[in-house]
Amino acid sequence: MSFTEFIVTYGGVFFAGLGIAVAVFLSGIGSAIGIGIVGQAASGLIIEEPEKFGRSLVLQLLPGTQGLYGFVIGLLVLGQLDAGMGLAHGMYLLAACLPIGFVGWQSAIAQGKTAAAGISILAKNEEHSTKGIIYSVMVETYALLAFVISLILVNAVSF
Amino acid sequence: MAIVKMSEFSLFAFDSSKEKLLHELQKFEYIHFLNLEDHIGFQDLGLKKVRVPEGIISVEEDLTRVSHSIEILSKFHKRETGIAAMKKGLDTYTFQELEDEALKIDYLPIYDNINNLWKKRDSIRQSVEKNKGKIQELMPWSGLSTKIQDLNSIRACELLLGTVPKKLQDKLTDVMKENQFTYYEVLEEDKDNLYLIVMSHHNEAEAIKDKLRNVSFSKVQLHGEGTPNEVIKSLEEENNSNIEEISMLEKEIEAMTDALPKLELVYDYLSNKKLRVAAAENFMMTDKVNVIRGYVPTDKEEDFKNRVEDVLENTYYLELKEADKEDIKTPILLRNSKFAQSFESLTGMYALPRYNEIDPTPFLAPFYLAFFGMMAADVGYGLIMLIATFVVLNKFNLSENTKKFIRFFYYLSFSVIIWGFLYGSIFGGIIPIPGLFDPANDYNSLLILSIVFGLIHIYFALALKAYVLIKDGKKKDALFDVGFWYLALTGAIVYLLNMVMVLPPLLKTISLVVMIAGMVGIVATGGREASGMVGKLGGGVYSLYGISGYVGDFVSYSRLMALGLAGGFIAGAVNMMAGMVAQNGIIGFLFAIIIFIFGQTFNLGLTLLGAYVHTIRLTFVEFFGKFYEGGGIGFKKFKTEPKYINLK
Repeated sequence: MSFTEFIVTYGGVFFAGLGIAVAVFLSGIGSAIGIGIVGQAASGLIIEEPEKFGRSLVLQLLPGTQGLYGFVIGLLVLGQLDAGMGLAHGMYLLAACLPIGFVGWQSAIAQGKTAAAGISILAKNEEHSTKGIIYSVMVETYALLAFVISLILVNAVSF
Repeated sequence: MAIVKMSEFSLFAFDSSKEKLLHELQKFEYIHFLNLEDHIGFQDLGLKKVRVPEGIISVEEDLTRVSHSIEILSKFHKRETGIAAMKKGLDTYTFQELEDEALKIDYLPIYDNINNLWKKRDSIRQSVEKNKGKIQELMPWSGLSTKIQDLNSIRACELLLGTVPKKLQDKLTDVMKENQFTYYEVLEEDKDNLYLIVMSHHNEAEAIKDKLRNVSFSKVQLHGEGTPNEVIKSLEEENNSNIEEISMLEKEIEAMTDALPKLELVYDYLSNKKLRVAAAENFMMTDKVNVIRGYVPTDKEEDFKNRVEDVLENTYYLELKEADKEDIKTPILLRNSKFAQSFESLTGMYALPRYNEIDPTPFLAPFYLAFFGMMAADVGYGLIMLIATFVVLNKFNLSENTKKFIRFFYYLSFSVIIWGFLYGSIFGGIIPIPGLFDPANDYNSLLILSIVFGLIHIYFALALKAYVLIKDGKKKDALFDVGFWYLALTGAIVYLLNMVMVLPPLLKTISLVVMIAGMVGIVATGGREASGMVGKLGGGVYSLYGISGYVGDFVSYSRLMALGLAGGFIAGAVNMMAGMVAQNGIIGFLFAIIIFIFGQTFNLGLTLLGAYVHTIRLTFVEFFGKFYEGGGIGFKKFKTEPKYINLK
């Protein structure tokens, strides 16, 4: 069996699997970094004011959603996985996973930085800390758009 | 249902009756003072600002004392926690009751008592710490059976005590090898150091000191009477009796925790008193007369007049007039139905309306309700919210603000349940029910539905803008800034629909005409405030460019679908994992239950948080962006938010 034949025979399921991996690991990495950034900022606050833990946790959670979007897309592609699927089908699914993978990755980091800045609102002016949450959610819009597109792509074409 | 109408008042009263007046007004509560210091003209007339620094300082001192006492007592008082305490909540007082109660309490002796006990306790604790330090120092030398005072009085030879880092041990044996008149011994060693005693004849002492310096020897001086062991023992005994004394003092303080509720009452009373005293700093005065200005709600005008009359009898002058509509200083008080009230916090979070605007709260509320439900959309989650908020609202004694916040989620829970049924989802589909949509397959219709909701939302916002303009008598502006946009947007949308579905050709032509008419209108009028032909045209074209913003707005509503789906899928994934684990016998089943509960709780929190903030975003950016400016000043009631009680 030549390499080309191998790719044609098994490439479909390989690329689809790669798609799942990309959707999950890129957005997962982004969310992990984002949550980490906020966690570091929040820890500094909790030394002085431990009673603000609940509110800081809300801010920390925000960059976590990207990882979940990637996870959902991964799960949807998983449902279509089949050992005998065609090469075109597999590569298409990989492409469908790219938006949430890349946007999820970078937007979670950006969102984490915004949320970390929100921690300083929480520290100095607790009343207005919801505004910090809203700033951070502005970033998430783009992850959501990517998620919508990935979602549509996964289901749009039937092979 | 809207912004409360305000009346502006000017009051002239004698300085001598200031205290009485302020006292009465604080009971009245609905009064907002203007700071007259920056009022142009008053200073030129020779009026001085009223200053009451002594009054404020003395109240502040008392406040610090009371809060210090509360702080100390709280350390010894176990507050009731849990459901029972929440049920009971804080005690409710009227302002009069609070004052009557607080004045009965003689808090200064309590403070003195507590403070003295606490200071004593602190100083004893310090000596305990000091002794502990001494014990630590002596510990390595406990092997010495000689009395410390004897060691210090040896004159026949040089006696050195000290430490050498352990890593230099080899070097130490090396340098100490060839001495004639010196004896040394390692008495003790720990992780880092060796503890040495060195005895040396005076002739050799200097040379030995040099050598020791090379191995980083650092000298230790022991203090005390008796052998190190005896000293340690006596210090420990002293500490034990000290600790006993501390616990005696603490018991004494603990016995005083009964006074805590009293002090808390006094604290809230004093904070109000501070506000009252400080309020006078807003006034201006001549030698004897105070000039006071501010606002009261128009429907409370009579009450206000009567109270002033009661206190000041005939010695005052009061003028009331309708508040200036355009004045930015007119304070804003919102009054809404019980339902819309719960959403007031959202308006406040963005910015309160100006006095000449409308209160957007009743308009944003129904949309918020619908959108929140669509994003959370799960019967199970909705029921949890409903039950939890219902129980809390009916069983617990809460402050007014907390109640509003809980009621907010109580209302939202209905929407979540209804959308849950539409989506056919209970805890992510653990019990299959037929829904109107199947989110996994019908996402296209959901997407369209989301955009349609966005369309309604934005059209409604534009309608509100038109309403505000017409109310202000700017009918032309309403046509230019809203009417043309309606034409352009509607025409464009219908025209675009032609491309994806078959519509009668006549409709296509009509929509094209309408769109172009609207666009021409926008270009022609959008720049009407600019000067010169070019400026007007440029402004118009730029206005039309705003249409790209509308495209972004509509797309933004796709989050309605996306969050609903994401939440549903994650709940589904949790169920799937639980289902896989559940097949492994009874232990598997138990684990499955744990996974289910933990996973669903996590997703519930995340979904609600997401729905809460994303709906806020749609409201603030897409909705408010069309018609609402805000920037009003909040009405400051003449009362502080109490910390330890509920104030009626």
